[in-house]
Amino acid sequence: MILASDEPLCRGDWHPRNSSRSVPARLVLKDEQIAAVAEEGEEAALASAAFPLLEISARVGSIPRRVGFPGGSLFETADNDAIDRLLLARGHRRAGLVHGLERFHPRLLLFVAAVFILSGLVYRYALPVLVEIAVAVTPPVVPRLMSVSTLETLDRTVLDETRLDEAKKRAISEGFARIAAQSARGASAYTLNFREGGAIGPNAFALPDGTLIITDELVELAGNDTEMLVGVLAHEIGHVELEHSLRQIYRAAGMAGLIMLIAGDVGESVEDLLVQGGGLVALSYSRAAETAADRHSVALMEKAGYDPAAIARFFDILEKKLGDTSGTSILSTHPGTPERKKAILDLTASLGRQTPD
Amino acid sequence: MSAIETAPLPRESQNFQRLSFTGTASEYFGIWIVNILLTIVTLGIYSAWAKVRRNRYFYGNTVLLGRAFEYHAKGKQIFIGRLIVFAYLIVYNILLTAFPIAGIALAVVVLFFFPWLIMRGLRFGARVTSYRNVRFDFTGKMGGAFVAFMAGPVLAFLSLGILAPLASRWMYRYMGNNLRYGSRAFATDPRLAPIYQTWLFSALIIVLGMLIVGVAVLANVSVIVALIDNPDVVSPEMNASLFLLGVVSYLAALLSFGIAALFYRAGVRNIAWSSTVFDGRHMLKSDLSRSRYVWIAVSNVIVTVLTFGLMRPWAAVRSARYVNEHTAIRFDGDVGEILAAVEQEGTAVGAEFMEFEGFDFGF
Repeated sequence: MILASDEPLCRGDWHPRNSSRSVPARLVLKDEQIAAVAEEGEEAALASAAFPLLEISARVGSIPRRVGFPGGSLFETADNDAIDRLLLARGHRRAGLVHGLERFHPRLLLFVAAVFILSGLVYRYALPVLVEIAVAVTPPVVPRLMSVSTLETLDRTVLDETRLDEAKKRAISEGFARIAAQSARGASAYTLNFREGGAIGPNAFALPDGTLIITDELVELAGNDTEMLVGVLAHEIGHVELEHSLRQIYRAAGMAGLIMLIAGDVGESVEDLLVQGGGLVALSYSRAAETAADRHSVALMEKAGYDPAAIARFFDILEKKLGDTSGTSILSTHPGTPERKKAILDLTASLGRQTPD
Repeated sequence: MSAIETAPLPRESQNFQRLSFTGTASEYFGIWIVNILLTIVTLGIYSAWAKVRRNRYFYGNTVLLGRAFEYHAKGKQIFIGRLIVFAYLIVYNILLTAFPIAGIALAVVVLFFFPWLIMRGLRFGARVTSYRNVRFDFTGKMGGAFVAFMAGPVLAFLSLGILAPLASRWMYRYMGNNLRYGSRAFATDPRLAPIYQTWLFSALIIVLGMLIVGVAVLANVSVIVALIDNPDVVSPEMNASLFLLGVVSYLAALLSFGIAALFYRAGVRNIAWSSTVFDGRHMLKSDLSRSRYVWIAVSNVIVTVLTFGLMRPWAAVRSARYVNEHTAIRFDGDVGEILAAVEQEGTAVGAEFMEFEGFDFGF
């Protein structure tokens, strides 16, 4: 091969090993070796090596390219195309593969479409699987710790000692024991607590370890209908058995985590927004959870020999006393009340047909 | 008379050398979308290599005096670091299941490990960065990281933000006084008084935001009173009004805290960088306009969200360009001579391959 040594492959700067000092230099082919030669002064090579011994940095956009010599010296050039030609001539066809994909080209539109489709698939199929795995491997101590600290905080901030009389409490506890005994985890997995609700008003809720709380306000709202309260508690047991709170937390965290991992660089402010958005998604998930817990209530009440549609009476009261006739919206944590009542009644009607007795 | 016309500029403005950013949104878009695509296709494994390409692009387009910075970390290095974290989480989970008490004790121990991880992260970040063939280095110790990144933020939080300037000062001192370029050191000592000035401005923004929330609550006072009097009856109109109140309050709080934080960050960066000296005599400077910085950050978020993320590359390039162009150094003496005289100590490079990433903190 004949190639004049004074015909440079490219021009750039050469640094001695470990030094910031640089001299303008050119890269040339000399006696089958690649050499860096100073632009001014002597023709003797500053550094030279056989091609396979060079460390050439991969191309990213049009940032300067680095050619490292075995002695530790460095040749840096902005002439990316020349380095690419050198690599290609030496048979390194795959060297610029990723850069080739990244080049601004109509093909990128295809990539955008692929990213959107794949992200949708990840959201639809991979995220639920990840959440299930996370729930499955969560040590039992975690929900216990979460529950203890949550109840403590609630007691300190909003909840107060109950003011219900003993007879009322006993009646509800007995009904609760009947359904808890029929639940998959058994009666010992659940404890019922009475509290005055304060700011949270008429409500019942379940902590992930099986601690249930029912507020005086809800008991008063129910009047003499203890069976209805038991139906509401059966709904809360459903939340615990289906591990809804853990799922909700993992889902929100998994969403934010996946986006940050996949997008890599989304900007700090967008990251903050994502965490907030994750919360919204968790709320919309909880609508499905409420429906599932409603169904659980129906099944559990039937097993315990109660009226399976008892919880529907609760929705009746909600509608009448609280005027809650709102439909479903993205920001509400519960499905619209009329919608839920109808679903319950449909379900119990179909149960009735299946087991006529 | 020509001597007067060509009178040299004041020494300061004449000699400050600004950074620039030479990347473009269209070029970065390709890198960004391919990074995402390959990360999904490889089930997340490529994300380590994606990070390297992204950082090489941003460092390689950050130019001072005609020469770019370079990012040297390898995808494999970052991948191994992430594997270690992942393996640790698995072991920890098993331990927590089998011996809950030991697991909780381990969590406390890990808390004490955070300063070490932060210190390693800063060192890794410095050692994989070079300029003109010479690496940066970070010599901070674990105790300093504890003060700067744990004690400081906790103090700021407990004092409801009143001591935040103190925490900022500790953090910048830890980062600035331990940074090396080759064998030469940076030094910084941002004063508290100017930080408190910029803090006061941010505090006022938060007060303003809270005032808006207050006005919104006042406008709804009739609804709230009705609710307290008779909690059983809430009409749908009241519901809608309360809902609106919630949304307005939430947005006002979010915006005022976000904007105050951005203002503060830009202000403190200006103060800290401008009180930093390289090698005992070369002054650094940061002169971000706080309102412009906030505008860029806020509009970037809006544009990014409205385009489902597709304009993120444009936003990233835009803010990198603004920050770089308002960062400068003034060399005391002949630039060529100064820049030719920095030598690299062996430690930074050799040790790099033994490092793992720790926590990711950028300089």
